[in-house]
Amino acid sequence: MKCTNTVWIAVLFLSTSSFVLPDQPGDNGLIKKWVVSKNSSLSVNGSTNINKFSCVIPAYNQIDTLTLRKNRNDTDVLLSGTIALSISSFDCHNSGMTKQLRKTLNEKQFPLLHIRFLSLNKIPVLTTKAEPITGFVEIEIAGISKRVEVQYQITQDDQRNIHLLGFHKINFSDFNLEPPQKLGGMIKTKDQLGVDFQLNMKAMD
Amino acid sequence: MNKILLSWLIAACTLVVISYGGLFLGIRFFPGLFVEYNNPLFNSDGSRNVLFYTHAFVISFALSWFWEKFKGSIQGSVVMRGLQLGFIYSIIALLPVMWITFSSLDITVFTVSSWFLYGLAQAIIAGLVFAKVNP
Repeated sequence: MKCTNTVWIAVLFLSTSSFVLPDQPGDNGLIKKWVVSKNSSLSVNGSTNINKFSCVIPAYNQIDTLTLRKNRNDTDVLLSGTIALSISSFDCHNSGMTKQLRKTLNEKQFPLLHIRFLSLNKIPVLTTKAEPITGFVEIEIAGISKRVEVQYQITQDDQRNIHLLGFHKINFSDFNLEPPQKLGGMIKTKDQLGVDFQLNMKAMD
Repeated sequence: MNKILLSWLIAACTLVVISYGGLFLGIRFFPGLFVEYNNPLFNSDGSRNVLFYTHAFVISFALSWFWEKFKGSIQGSVVMRGLQLGFIYSIIALLPVMWITFSSLDITVFTVSSWFLYGLAQAIIAGLVFAKVNP
């Protein structure tokens, strides 16, 4: 009976500690939390055979937190946090183009675009000088997720605001979306889109 | 009957070349005039491309039937008869259709005017073919 209790206590300890351990890295481990501020933005740049377009979500309207975590033995830095952007917030500075982008991204069925942060290649040194880093994110558009490596530049200004600029090229076809074509295919949108985002964040103490 | 069929086919083929060739050149050299078509108002998945490219045959068929019925009332030289058919078509069909189109769709005056002139040019060209092949 005493033996059984000991086993149960051990099982209980292990099961509860397994939920706690990831938030408490070992010696020399590091956790940082960055709160994304409302003035963050995202833009999508593309082109057709007759014009170029730039569609912007000018102000991110939620407050989210990104968490950096580095354990002593890991080479990569884990980055967790998701940003959900409303497709209806896109503004292409032309009402027709705006409506077209929202339709192409299948806004009615999938009203949100998600960017899930997964990792960084190193812990950034936050200075006023832009530091190039890379990291993996998962982009979800129209219900399809794609894991991509993003080039970032990170800086910290005098007010201790952290600015994370990310850039990546995606294709409509990566997300099973068809670039629109008009007038019997005489006007065609190119498959490739450039996605830029700027996250303005504050480090949590 | 052969003349009707022949004039229809010649007019249709002429319109295919001139209409779609003209559109292609317009898009290539005056791309700014076509930006308005980047709008979900216009079909964007290519599912109606066949209908788009058979329009020349449809308008030629309709105009060749009209020509056969009323060619006796359209007098003058080949050019004059072609112009008359174009203006008759524009007044009877294009003007009311463009009117209701502009009143109900979110398009600009420029776009609806370009459609009117495009249709007028098509009818004049078809009229020239009919006047020559099926006088």
